[in-house]
Amino acid sequence: MTSLTNDDTLILETIDRFIEREVKPQVRELEHDDIYPADLVETMKGLGLFGATIAPEYGGLGLSTTLYAKIVERIAAAWMSLTGIFNSHLIMAAAVQRFGTEAQRREFLPKFATGEMRGGLALTEPDCGTDLQAIRTTAVRERDHYVINGTKTWISNGIQGQIFALLVKTDTTAEPRHRGMSLFLAEKGKGFTVSRKLEKLGYKGIDSAELVFEDYAVPADRLIGGEEGLGLKHTLSGLELGRINVAARGVGLARAALDESLAYAQVRKTFGKPICEHQSIQIMLADMATRVKAAQLMVESAAAAYDKGERCDMEAGMAKLFASEAALTNATDAMRIHGGYGYSKEFNIERYYRDAPLLCIGEGTNEIQRIIISRQLVERNPV
Amino acid sequence: MRHRADFSGGELNVIVLIKHVIDVELNVRVRDGSVVQDGMTYVLSKWDENAIEAALVLKDAHDGEVTAVTIGPERSGESLRKALAMGVDKGVHINDPATEGSDSMGYARILAKTVTRQPYDLILAGRQSQDTDQGGTGPMLAELLNIPLVGNVVEIAAVDGTKLTAHRNGDAGKEVVEVTLPALLTANDSLNEPRLASLRGIMAAKNKPMEILTLADLEIDPATVGAAGAGTEVVEMQPPRARAAGQKFEGAPEEITKEVMGLLVNEAKIFG
Ligand SMILES: Cc1cc2nc3c(=O)[nH]c(=O)nc-3n(C[C@H](O)[C@H](O)[C@H](O)COP(=O)(O)OP(=O)(O)OC[C@H]3O[C@@H](n4cnc5c(N)ncnc54)[C@H](O)[C@@H]3O)c2cc1C
Repeated sequence: MTSLTNDDTLILETIDRFIEREVKPQVRELEHDDIYPADLVETMKGLGLFGATIAPEYGGLGLSTTLYAKIVERIAAAWMSLTGIFNSHLIMAAAVQRFGTEAQRREFLPKFATGEMRGGLALTEPDCGTDLQAIRTTAVRERDHYVINGTKTWISNGIQGQIFALLVKTDTTAEPRHRGMSLFLAEKGKGFTVSRKLEKLGYKGIDSAELVFEDYAVPADRLIGGEEGLGLKHTLSGLELGRINVAARGVGLARAALDESLAYAQVRKTFGKPICEHQSIQIMLADMATRVKAAQLMVESAAAAYDKGERCDMEAGMAKLFASEAALTNATDAMRIHGGYGYSKEFNIERYYRDAPLLCIGEGTNEIQRIIISRQLVERNPV
Repeated sequence: MRHRADFSGGELNVIVLIKHVIDVELNVRVRDGSVVQDGMTYVLSKWDENAIEAALVLKDAHDGEVTAVTIGPERSGESLRKALAMGVDKGVHINDPATEGSDSMGYARILAKTVTRQPYDLILAGRQSQDTDQGGTGPMLAELLNIPLVGNVVEIAAVDGTKLTAHRNGDAGKEVVEVTLPALLTANDSLNEPRLASLRGIMAAKNKPMEILTLADLEIDPATVGAAGAGTEVVEMQPPRARAAGQKFEGAPEEITKEVMGLLVNEAKIFG
């Protein structure tokens, strides 16, 4: 498999230390009180995480997806919410880097890389998430700018972020519908407001918000790539990276659930022996570990393909599907193994249990993931 | 010998001595009288991280340059790269098979030749290295250089002009020591909390100068260092005695106390 360079080892060591020193001691308090981890964000800025996958020529670190996935896995194992703060930000950055004009790259990427300007993706609307072609937010061109109206919901970093890759319709009559879709870089300002913070089961600490656009005027040069009608294409191509990232989160969560269960099962005794010697617990531990290993390998292989520039849409989708389900199952099994303590807020298990389902919903639901995988299977293997 | 940089500009040039050591957090095994190296990983000795951090804090306050120096085989370069990633400006790696088996004095001799190649104001080192726990190299180097030493420093209180004030943990308590620069300080781990090497720092480290030297470059006679020049010899190594498992007592506090006292007095005989 992929071997790590000296730099990679040092980078992961830094990440591990950051987690031990700064994340673990306060994760439960921040999460339960749903507090935005402002000081951790400052540290992550200093570490360079907000520029992790941005090219060095634009001030980023240019890390490989393989290494980036390992970073995400580690951080997610400690606190999944933290990964959301830089992840959709980096997907926004990737859209600018891959499809933006040179002027857009020069203007925005360096600020994204330092974390001075942070944000995310604004795709989902109250009436549609999976079926993005049904969005109703519109952008109408007026001389040198566009006027945007509509509502976006569930937007991660919506309150703390300053700028978002915003998916809109520039032509509501286009057929096929995606031809009328465009992606803008929308900076907060007049006409762009946060209407509310959304309360949620898990994934706490990071802000999810509803964003409202009322006659929001955005300069025409903020249209990513400068050409209308490519918005959905740009959005979907960023999802590959997004899927690998969600898959890496799944691995992190599944592994954390396993690690804690493995330790607990060796010290908790019932009927005169550690519970890891009871067969039903052994079966759960074995299955959990197998899922972690398999998920890890799938993420590694999808990331390696991505790094080599090979096609990996299906592979990334499979990794996302498998790893997120692994996280959900492992979180549930961890709760069984921990008995009453799994249900306690003094342990981490209940958090994994609340966080894991999001992975099955976000970045393309697992139902859709299966449909896409199956379509690609047929497409790649015509009879 | 004056090896003081021109301090008039306020700049402080610091040399940090670092060592790449076996990771003692891992299970270190001893076979046939020596440590089994197979499968071991190596890390930057922990007190050296404190020394690096102190140097970087001084650099932030006074400008100047921080140079890290290490002696060791190829793999020792990893610790130098880590130092560079943390913010050190320059690395010097003495990589020569003839240095192998050096004792503290051997290392001190090599370092004395190395650090005097350029002017410096201050030398920082860990108070001991994590592998041998000898703590000899720093003091011996100070002696060879004929500069003042403050060992086991817990605080660098002030640096001004030609003087430095440091607090050290002594036998009887904290001592406040003033020295004239150049001087050598060894760091206690409560001196500071070493910074994380940022990802940016790690990537930038690749472009920082790293000098690789042999004993010949330093005009050192190989016979005076390494195993050949060592005045001490480790004749045997033994693994630490395994600790017997603890004993757990359960029951009412009064009863447990009685039971434990009985064992302490009669079995462990701690009250002689
Ligand atoms: C915590 C959180 C953070 C989020 N962050 C962001 C963000 O930063 N930016 C953003 O744009 N969005 C974000 N989202 C939104 C998320 O991407 C959507 O919730 C997701 O895409 C699903 O869309 P939906 O909720 O509209 O569900 P729907 O699309 O309404 O789906 C409902 C159900 O129907 C199924 N379904 C839909 N279509 C089909 C089909 N054709 N065949 C079979 N089954 C189907 C789905 O799988 C699902 O089970 C976030 C959501 C959450 C909960």
